[in-house]
Amino acid sequence: MRTLKTSEAAALLNVSPNTLRAWERRFGYPKPQRSAGKHRLYTHGEIASLRDALQEGLSISSAVSVAREALSSESHSLLGALSSFELERADQALEAALALRSLERTVEEVLLPTLDELRERHGDGSAPWAFAARWGTEWLRRAQRLAPPPTRPMAVLVGDATRDDLDRDAPTVRALELFCARAGAHLLSLPVTGPSGIGDVLETHRVDAVVIAGGYANDDTVARWAYAVRAATGPLPIALFRRPGRGDRVRSTGTRALPDSPTDAQRMLIEILFTGEPGGDPLSVPLRTPTRRQRPAASLAIRRRALV
Amino acid sequence: MSRPAPRRALRAIPTPQEAQPLVGFCGHCGQRPADPSEVTKRVCDHCHMGLVLQASADLAPAPQDPFMVIDRSLSICALSREGERLLGVSETQAINRHVAEFLVPADAEARGQEDLVTVILTATGGDDGPRHVVVRPTGEFGVRLWVRVGHCGPPSAALLVMADGRV
Repeated sequence: MRTLKTSEAAALLNVSPNTLRAWERRFGYPKPQRSAGKHRLYTHGEIASLRDALQEGLSISSAVSVAREALSSESHSLLGALSSFELERADQALEAALALRSLERTVEEVLLPTLDELRERHGDGSAPWAFAARWGTEWLRRAQRLAPPPTRPMAVLVGDATRDDLDRDAPTVRALELFCARAGAHLLSLPVTGPSGIGDVLETHRVDAVVIAGGYANDDTVARWAYAVRAATGPLPIALFRRPGRGDRVRSTGTRALPDSPTDAQRMLIEILFTGEPGGDPLSVPLRTPTRRQRPAASLAIRRRALV
Repeated sequence: MSRPAPRRALRAIPTPQEAQPLVGFCGHCGQRPADPSEVTKRVCDHCHMGLVLQASADLAPAPQDPFMVIDRSLSICALSREGERLLGVSETQAINRHVAEFLVPADAEARGQEDLVTVILTATGGDDGPRHVVVRPTGEFGVRLWVRVGHCGPPSAALLVMADGRV
């Protein structure tokens, strides 16, 4: 996927960089990603689509609307492919979406909404949902296998509290795992239904934080698993993802609830891991080479504070 | 004896309307472009939030005039900053919605919705000069707006200027 800096995108649209930023504030479009240095990065497809719409438009608003519609056509084509059970066409639709967006935005804006739409149309127990959910989770796992090796000194243990791949939260949990892996974290995912022998696993894989993801497993099951983890590793920061009925923070343990969006959840998780608080700047902690493992100092401080 | 030649009858001939020059204006703030000769730059130099459109000088809005642009399908394509204030809706919420959601005819003599629609559709065709209609905001009573309607573009659309000095 080709990305453009603000000045390049502005030149393509024949406007000033300030105008582009003003459009982002007013219309929410174009929606840039951020580089490691927090600079705006625009996808070429988004800018080209807006440029074409501006040529034919009567206002910026209507041009933005047309450009958005052009980009959302991938969602429709993916929905069409999955509705007609054509795996190859579904792969192609997602590839086309990837040409215009980052992987994270493709998952957030195309894949997950399409799966939600199918589940709402047909229901959790239907064959079309099973077909789409299995394809979606498999696609996300494949993308995770292709993620670059870990570059940050942090390891996350995901306690998978979903039922199986057909659980409504399963694709979103897989998306969070993928985004964490792409953010450079070591990732270990284990089901919360199997606490026995977890000590042996955690002797080999040291972890810095635990995320309990999914709402299917009941609190007793999760608590038994968390106890086993704590017995093996000591106190660790815990975050909840897609666990219904939890507030922003569980007062007794300091456990945090992550946002429902996997992108926002991954961002908050990294901020918490490195700075101890949401909103901290993880860039202040240097990246490391994939061969050495270091535990961040902030993470050690959290370990002392947090309780499992 | 020859009969005197009949006097030529005087006939009233309609004076052909002088073609008004086209002027550019921003579809958001209504300002005229700083450099009208630069036709390739479509985004307004003043507010950066609107595209520069063209209309005849007797139709084009002044910067303080509320106005909207409507396409052939009678959907709103642009709503000026003053128009947002007048109708109490932002442009991003108004676009792609039917004009009747915001304005309805308020002239008791007119034929009703059809007349407004006809005027707008004629304007999108670009055949006529500006015409005047009386409308009111949908759902509001006791308020009337004198609107002048005419052709603007590109692309071809109808421009409704909702002030005309009388509200």
